[in-house]
Amino acid sequence: MKQLPTESAADWGVALCHVCGLASPLRAGHCSRCDSRLHLRNRDSLQRTWAFTIASLLLYFPANMLPILRVESFYGTQSSTILTGVIQFWDEGDYPVAIIIFVASVVIPILKIIAIVWLCFAATKGWQPRQMTRLYRVTEFVGRWSMVDVFVVAILVGVVQLGSTISIHPGAGAVSFAAVVVLTMLAAMSFDPRLIWDAAAARAQQGGHQH
Amino acid sequence: MQSTSPTQPLVCHDCDALLAAPQLQDGEKAICPRCVGVIVSRGRNSLQRTAAFAMASAVLFAVANSFPFLTMRAGFRESQMLLWESATGLGAGGYPALAAAVAIFIIAAPALLIGGLLYIVMPLLWGRRLPGTVALCRWVFRARRWDMTEVFLLSVLVSLMKLGSLAELTLGTSFWALVALIVCLTAAVASLHPRDLWARIEEARP
Repeated sequence: MKQLPTESAADWGVALCHVCGLASPLRAGHCSRCDSRLHLRNRDSLQRTWAFTIASLLLYFPANMLPILRVESFYGTQSSTILTGVIQFWDEGDYPVAIIIFVASVVIPILKIIAIVWLCFAATKGWQPRQMTRLYRVTEFVGRWSMVDVFVVAILVGVVQLGSTISIHPGAGAVSFAAVVVLTMLAAMSFDPRLIWDAAAARAQQGGHQH
Repeated sequence: MQSTSPTQPLVCHDCDALLAAPQLQDGEKAICPRCVGVIVSRGRNSLQRTAAFAMASAVLFAVANSFPFLTMRAGFRESQMLLWESATGLGAGGYPALAAAVAIFIIAAPALLIGGLLYIVMPLLWGRRLPGTVALCRWVFRARRWDMTEVFLLSVLVSLMKLGSLAELTLGTSFWALVALIVCLTAAVASLHPRDLWARIEEARP
């Protein structure tokens, strides 16, 4: 088992203030600089992360199956889901737009949910902490871009106002989709990457005892 | 145990590595040897830059919220949309929660971010600290995560493609202000180095 090069602050009873980033002794209770409560790790990190992730996974289905948009014109009423929107752009030959929406709305959310589940297991088992920490940073960064389709609905509804020859209405899929994005963002924020390092250190120590 | 710990410890927020604080020059950053993330960084004229970009952002935010964002012409009809109408339209369409979420992501979060930065940083330039500075810091860093103006910009381009065949669309003054706002606000946040900021808050007189 590879030796971890440095020690954790937690082993010395040193807590990092989550607001101002000052390292203080945990027994002080509150940060000496900004008076925030000190915790060694995010509170109930894994429970909260699992809860947000499961909720977002459940909403992922209505988000993709329900229409996000309903267009009424004299040609009739047309509802579109996220996928039919992508297909429409593709058929019209707007390949870059089709790819952007497909990646932002379909690929990123599901990859993000898989990544968070993977991170939760890594935090329990102590798998490859360095790579997993990198995965965590990427996950936190990309999640917001999934909001693209929700904003498209907002803009289309806003600009095509009542009284024109066409009218555009938001659909229930848009709400579910926004909820998926917000929940995965909350899941990523609740996750504490330091737990992966704790588990890895515990595993290394256990391995050391066996040899 | 306490006696052997380093006198001025530095702790990595991502992997909890306990390290001795390095002496950083302006513009340098310290990389964690364990998880390869940036632990602390020092800027050049950090507060002055943040203040300048935040002031520019405030002006651009006002412009972005006062002028038309998009104009649509279809046949004889012309309709104009203001930035906040992209949120209220959803409310009128029967989804008030979604409208509130969009309003937070593109108006409330950037407003809190800009206002908060100015309130915190401007007095610090003169070594003063206004009441509530510490509590506001927490909210400003939180607002930063929920500000999605740059994602909104991508959505505008997608919407133009989507409606392009149905109607003639023109980008308004507000759109260009929003583009500039995103650049300035990103620069304001990027120039803000938490360690520099907290050191200045500690030195400041209330």
